[in-house]
Amino acid sequence: MTTNRNACGGCLGRVAPADSRRAFLQQASAGFGWLALQGLVGGFAASPARGLEGGAGSPHFAARARSIIFCFMDGGPSHVDTLDPKPMLKQHEGREIGDKAVSKRSQSAANRVWFGSPWEFHQRGQSGLWVSELLPNIAGVADELCVVRSMVGELPLHGAQNLLLHTGRILGQGPSLGSWVSYGLGSENLNLPGYVLLNNDWVPNGGLENFGSSFLPASHQATMMRAKGVPVDNITPADSTTIQRRQLALLAEQDAEFAARSSDAQAIEAAVANYETAFRMQTTVPEIADVNREPDYIRRLYGLDSSDDHQRFYATQALRARRLVEQGVRFVEITCPSFDGNNSPWDQHGQIKVNHAKNARITDQSVAALIVDLKQRGLLEETIVLWAGEMGRTPHTPKISESCGRDHHVNCYSIFLAGGGFRGGFTLGETDEFGNEVIAGRLDIHDIHATLLHQLGIDHERLTFRHGGRDHRLTDVQGRIVNEILA
Amino acid sequence: MVLSKYLIGFLMLSVGGVAAYAQPAAPMNSTLAGEDWSVEFQDRTSWWSLRPLMVGPPPDVSDPGWSREPIDRFVRKALDAAELAPSAPAGPDLLLRRLAFVLTGLPPDPSRRERFLLDLKSDPCSAYERLVDELLASPHFGERFARHWMDVVRYTDTYGYESDNPANGSWEYRDYLVRAFNQDVPFDQLVREQLAGDLLTLPRLDRNLGINESMVGPMFYHLGEHREGGSLMFNGIHQQMVDNKIDAFSKAFLATTVACARCHDHKLEAIVQRDYYSLAAVFMTPRWTSRVIDAPGRNDAAIAKLKELRDAIRRELATIWIAHVDTHDAWTMDMLRAKLERKEETATKDAAAPNIEDVAYPLTRLLNASEEVSNIWRELAREWRETRSQRLNANADFHPLTDFHAPQLPDGWIMEGDGIQHGRVDDGVPLIALEADRIVSQLLPRGLYTHALSSRLPGALRSPPQHEVPGQRMSLQLTGGEFAGYLVVQGNGFKSEQIGFLKSTEPIWKSFSDPILKNGVGRVTVEFATTALNPNFPPRIGLAGGLPPTDPGFDKRSWLGITAIVTHETDGTPQDNLDHFVSLYEADAPSSSEEAAARIREWFTATVRRWCEGQLRDGDLRLLNWLLANEMLPNKLRDGTRAAELVNEYRRVELGISYPRTVTGMDERACRKSGYPIDARGDVDQPGELVFPDFLRLFAGRHRVAQTNGSGRLELAESLVENEHPLVTRVYVNRVWQWLFGSGIVTTPDDFGHLGDSPSHPELLDFLAREFMQGGWSTKSLVRRLVLSETFRQSGVTTVAARQRDPANRLLHHYPTRRLEAEAIRDAMLAVSGRLDPALYGRPIWPFRSAEDTTNKRLLSGPLDGRGRRSLYLQLSIMEPPKFLVGFDLPDLKLPAGKRNATNVPGQALTMLNDPLVVELARIWSVRLIEESHASVNDRITAMFVQALGREPTSIELDRWSTALYDLCGEGGARVMSDQTAWRRLAHLFFNAKEFIYYR
Repeated sequence: MTTNRNACGGCLGRVAPADSRRAFLQQASAGFGWLALQGLVGGFAASPARGLEGGAGSPHFAARARSIIFCFMDGGPSHVDTLDPKPMLKQHEGREIGDKAVSKRSQSAANRVWFGSPWEFHQRGQSGLWVSELLPNIAGVADELCVVRSMVGELPLHGAQNLLLHTGRILGQGPSLGSWVSYGLGSENLNLPGYVLLNNDWVPNGGLENFGSSFLPASHQATMMRAKGVPVDNITPADSTTIQRRQLALLAEQDAEFAARSSDAQAIEAAVANYETAFRMQTTVPEIADVNREPDYIRRLYGLDSSDDHQRFYATQALRARRLVEQGVRFVEITCPSFDGNNSPWDQHGQIKVNHAKNARITDQSVAALIVDLKQRGLLEETIVLWAGEMGRTPHTPKISESCGRDHHVNCYSIFLAGGGFRGGFTLGETDEFGNEVIAGRLDIHDIHATLLHQLGIDHERLTFRHGGRDHRLTDVQGRIVNEILA
Repeated sequence: MVLSKYLIGFLMLSVGGVAAYAQPAAPMNSTLAGEDWSVEFQDRTSWWSLRPLMVGPPPDVSDPGWSREPIDRFVRKALDAAELAPSAPAGPDLLLRRLAFVLTGLPPDPSRRERFLLDLKSDPCSAYERLVDELLASPHFGERFARHWMDVVRYTDTYGYESDNPANGSWEYRDYLVRAFNQDVPFDQLVREQLAGDLLTLPRLDRNLGINESMVGPMFYHLGEHREGGSLMFNGIHQQMVDNKIDAFSKAFLATTVACARCHDHKLEAIVQRDYYSLAAVFMTPRWTSRVIDAPGRNDAAIAKLKELRDAIRRELATIWIAHVDTHDAWTMDMLRAKLERKEETATKDAAAPNIEDVAYPLTRLLNASEEVSNIWRELAREWRETRSQRLNANADFHPLTDFHAPQLPDGWIMEGDGIQHGRVDDGVPLIALEADRIVSQLLPRGLYTHALSSRLPGALRSPPQHEVPGQRMSLQLTGGEFAGYLVVQGNGFKSEQIGFLKSTEPIWKSFSDPILKNGVGRVTVEFATTALNPNFPPRIGLAGGLPPTDPGFDKRSWLGITAIVTHETDGTPQDNLDHFVSLYEADAPSSSEEAAARIREWFTATVRRWCEGQLRDGDLRLLNWLLANEMLPNKLRDGTRAAELVNEYRRVELGISYPRTVTGMDERACRKSGYPIDARGDVDQPGELVFPDFLRLFAGRHRVAQTNGSGRLELAESLVENEHPLVTRVYVNRVWQWLFGSGIVTTPDDFGHLGDSPSHPELLDFLAREFMQGGWSTKSLVRRLVLSETFRQSGVTTVAARQRDPANRLLHHYPTRRLEAEAIRDAMLAVSGRLDPALYGRPIWPFRSAEDTTNKRLLSGPLDGRGRRSLYLQLSIMEPPKFLVGFDLPDLKLPAGKRNATNVPGQALTMLNDPLVVELARIWSVRLIEESHASVNDRITAMFVQALGREPTSIELDRWSTALYDLCGEGGARVMSDQTAWRRLAHLFFNAKEFIYYR
C-alpha cells in the first residue's frame, strides 16, 4: 500500500496509519489518555466498530483502498446521454415505446416516444470505453473508469432513491454510507472528521438524513463544508488565538477539577480533549479548505479559473476533496450545485439539451481533474472515486421537441468508479437496445456498497450496529461483492 | 370482564396451560403458521415482560433507615446482595441543580436557591419536599416531560422527504402534551387519547382554552416522515409510511418490535406476520385527515347571532327591494341599454360568443333590434325552448346524489367544521358582504357552504370511497376561493398531491372518475376543504398557485360551496337548464322595443318579488345575482340606515370569530372497516389476502377488536389500559425512571423483547407498575415518589469497589453524571443570560439557518436566538433540523428514540467556542452583569457561579477566574467592572465549562 500521503499530511494532524494509537499517545498534549477516549467516541478517533475488534484502522482484511470520494450527481444524469450509447433511440425517435417498455421503475407510458441522445458517443482511450460528448473531460480519463451500466433501483422517485443510494434503504432511517465507513474505520486524522460533505447550502431530496449518522454515534455524521463563505460552521474563532488559549487554560484547570469530582471522569475528559482538537481545527480546517495554496496549474486543472460561479464552486470542492483524502479523511462526498428552479440539479424533465449540458459543464472538468490529480500523486490506487446519481433518465419522452426532457428511470442506469482497485477501462452490464432495461449483469446499490466496503477492507456482513432490537448493517440482508469490477 | 380474562390468561400461560382464547387460530397459510409455530408461540408468551406483574411487598434490607420510599428497599436489597453501599446524600446545591434540570430542564433560579438554603436551615425535613412540589407545579415541568415523550413518538414539525411540508397541527400536539403533563392527566387517558381521542364518548374539554383536548391526541399517528404522492402511481409509498407507524406505536407503548414481522413471523418475539397486517388494517381504516379541535359549541353564540342578523338583513333587503320594484323608474329601457353597453365595453377583450345562458343574451338582441322585435323574440324563445329541452334530456344521464333539500348528507359523506355544519342554505339566502359598501355579495343557491355565515369558519366535505358512490364518475358543482380546494386521497396516501384549488364565485363542475384500484390501495376518496381542514395545505411549493413560499398557510379566510353532486357513467357534466328564462318566455312576443323592455322589466320585477316573498322558482337566483352583479338592485350600504346598522353589526360579530384550530387526526365516521393486504415476504408487489383489523394475538386473541364496525382503535386503546396489562405500564414506568435517573431499570426502553435488556430490579419494576396503576396512572405522583427517594438523593461519589463490581451503576450505588440534552444546553444559556422568554406554547419558530431555500422547500431562517424561546418551540424539520440541537444529539426525527445518545465530538467544542448564538448569549449575559450592582470582581464572579452552576466558588476558583478576567480584558482594562469585553469572555467561559453542560 502506498503511503505517500504522509509526506504532506503529518503537519496537519494526520496520524501515521500503521500505528495510529501509539502515534496519538505520543502526540497527545491534553493530558487525557487515548484509552479514556476509546470507550466514549471522543474526538474523531472513533472507537472500533462492532465486529472490528482489531480497532480503528484495523479492518477485517487487507484493504485495497483507504478513502472514497463520492461525486454525487444529484437528480439523475441520463445514462443514454452519458455512458450507455443507444443508436437505436435515434433510429426510432418519435415512435411509441408500446406496452412492453412500460415499467414501474420508470415514469413510463405506452404512448411515450423514444428520444435519441442529442450527444454523440465515441470510444475513448486504449480501452475503447464509450463516453458521450457531454462529458469530454471524463472521456479523457476513460481508461481509469469502471462503468456499470446495469444498475437497478427500486422506485423512480428522488427522495426514495437518494436515501437508497446513501443509506441502503428507500426509507432512510439508517446511517449514511459515509457514516458506516467512518464508524468502521475511524479517522486517520485527529483533527478531521471521518466523513466530510462538500456542499453548497443545497439540501438534496430526502434531506440531511442522506448524510446523517442516524442511530450511529453523532461523530460519524457528515461535517458540512460549503463552497461559499466560511467553509465550516463555527470554525472561525470567536476571539483571538491568544484569548482563546487563555480561555482554554482556565477551562483545563476548571474541568480537571470537575472531572475529579464527577463519577464519570472519562466523559468529562473526552469532552475536554475535544477542545484541544477543536482549537487545532480552527487552523487546520481553513488551511485544508484553502485552495489558494495550490499552484496555478492545479487550480486551472480543476477549473478554478472558470468565469462560471457554479463551476468554480464545484472545482473548489473537488480540489478540497483531494486535499481532504490526503489528510486522511475516509469519506468525502461532493454534491452538485442547484442552478435553476429544478427539483434537483440533474433533474431535467424538460430542457435536457440546455441543462444537462450546464450540469456537465459545472462538473465534468473537475471530476476528471480529480482523477488525473489523484493519479499523478499516486493516490488513485488507494482512493475510490465514485460517480453516481440516484437514478437514470427515461430513454423516452412524452413528445419530441427542442425543449423536451427525460423523466425518472431506475429500471437501469449507469455509474462509474475509478481507482481504489476497480478495473479501469472496463464496462459491466448491458441494457437492451433502447437503454430501457437491464439484460445482463444486473446490480443494485447494495452490491456497490458491499464492494466499496470490501475495498476498504470491511466485510459488509460483519459491520453491524445493535439498534432497536436488532443488529443493523448497511446492506441489510443484501449485497454481494462484485468481483468482476475489481482489478 | 376483560380484565379477568387477561389475568386468567396470563396465569394460565405462565403455568403452561392453554386458554382457549389464547390459542392461535388455525394457520391461514402454511407458510405463515403451523403446528410447531403454535407451540413456539406459547413458549414465547412466557417471556419476562409478558408475564403478570409480580405482587410483593418491599423487601427487608440491611439498613431500614435508608428508606424514605419503598423503592429504596428494592434498591438497597440489590446493593446488599452485591455487598455495596449507597453513596452519601448529595449536598443541597447539587441536589437543587439536579432536581431543577430533571424536573424542568432549566437551571435553578438563584433566588430559589437562596430560599431553599434558608428553608433547609429552618426546616430541614420538609425543605426538599417543598422544593419538589414547587418544581412539579412549575409550568416548565410539562415542557420537560412533553419533550421526553416527543422523543418516544419521534416528534416533528415537518414531513421532510422532498419538500418538507408542514406537519399540520404538530405544535398543537406538542402543546397538548405540555398541558397534559402539567395537569397530570392520567397516563391511561393519554394512551386512549393518542390512539383514539376522536372516538371518546366523553372527550376531555378545556373550556378555558375552548379546546377538545382528546381530539388532539391522534396527531400521534401523523408524526414521522410523510412522503408526497400515493401508491396508485408508485407502489410502496403508503406501505412504507404504515411500517413506520407500526414501528412507532409498538415501540412507544409496548417496547416491542412489531415492525420486524412485516416480512415474516417474528424471529424471536410472540408476534406473527398476521399481527403486523391486523394492526395495519386498524390504522388504515380511518381517514387520516384534519380535525377541528375547538371545543364543540365554541362558535355557537356567534353563529346564532349571525343567523339572526342575516334574517333581519334579509327582511330589510326585501323591504328595500319591494319599494324599488314599485317605483316606476326601475329598469327603464335607457338604463338597461346603458348597462348592456357598458358591459360590452368591458367585455371586448373577451371574444367569446354570447352565451345562451347569459341573462344579457336575449336583452342585447331585443333592445338593439334592428328588425321586427316579435321575430327576434320568437327566434329567441324557440332557441331557448330547443336548447332547454336538449339540456333537460342530456341532464337525465346525471343522477343527483342529493339536492340539499334534506339536512342529511347521502350515505358515507361526512362534514367537518362549523362553517359547513351551519352552511346548508335554501335558495336565496343572502351572503352578507363582509367588506366594501355593499349589503350582500350574492344570493346563494341551495347548497352547502363553508362561508354562508363567515369565511373564518372552517369546513370540509369528505366523500365515501369513490367505488361506493354509484356510477363511474361523480361530479360536484362548486364555488370556492382563498385556497379552498379538493384533495384526492388514495387509501390513506399520507401526502396526496392530487390537489386542486377553487377560484370561482360562479359554480363550476369538477368530475372525479373511479380510479383503477391497485398496489394495495383499497379506496380512493375525495375531500373538499377550506385551508384549515386540508391536511396537505400548504402543499409543495408551486402546487398552490399564488401562495408565496413564505406563507405558512394558517389563520386565513377560505371558503367553498357545493351546490350539486351528481353521479354518471359517461363523460361530461350537467348543463344549465335555462330555468331563469321561464318567466320571460311565458309571455307573448312583444310587438315593439318598448313592449320588449316592459316584458323584461316585468320579468325582473316578478323575480325580485318572488325572492322578497320567499316564493323563489328554479333559475330565479341566476337572474337575481345578475341584477346584483350589474348593480341593478339596491345594494349600497348607506350610513344611518337600518340595513347599515345590521350589516355593521354582522361584520363586527363575524370579525370576533377566531380562526379554527385543527390538527391532522383521524376520522372514521361512516368509514367501513378496511382490509389490508398481507404482503408475502413484505414485498408490496406480491399482495396476498386481505387482513382485517385486529390486535396482536399475544394480547387480545382473535378478533378482539374486530367486533365493532370501526377501526377498533378505541378497543385497542382500552385493551392496553383497562386491564392490568403488564407491558404498557412496565414500559411507561421504566421510561419515567430513565428520565429521572438517566438509565432505565431496563436499559433498552424501546425493546422489552429478546434482544432487549433484562430488568436490573424486576420486583421494583413490577412494584412501580402496580403502584402506578393503583395510584390512578399519575405521572406526577410517580415522579414525586422517585425524586423523594434516598436513591435519587444520593451524591455522585463512587468507590473503587462499586466501580469494579458494577461499573455501569445498574445497582444505583450513586447518582450518575449526566450531560444535558441539546435543548437543555441551549435553554440553560438562555436562562443564565437572561434572554429566556418563559412563554409557553405556540407555533414553531424557524431555526436560524445560514441559507434559506424557498424555491423547492420551505427552509426558512428565524432569529439567531429563536426570540429567546425554549428549544422545545424551535421548528423541527426532518429535512434540516436545527443545527445546534443536532450537534448535541437531537435524535433522528424519523425514528422513535426512547433513549438519547450523549456523544462527545469536537464539533460540540467548536459550537460552544464559536457559534454566534453562544457568543451572543454570553454578550447579553455580560451586559446584564454590568448593569447589576456588584461591589467587586469577586462578588460578580460569585454571582456568575451561582447563576450558571448553582453554587458558590471556592477561594481557589475565585482566584482562578479573577486572574483570568484580567488576562481577558479588552481595551478598557483600567475599569474592569465595566469592561464588557472581559465579562463577555468570562461569561463565554462559563458556558464552556463542563460543569455547565453536565449535572450530577
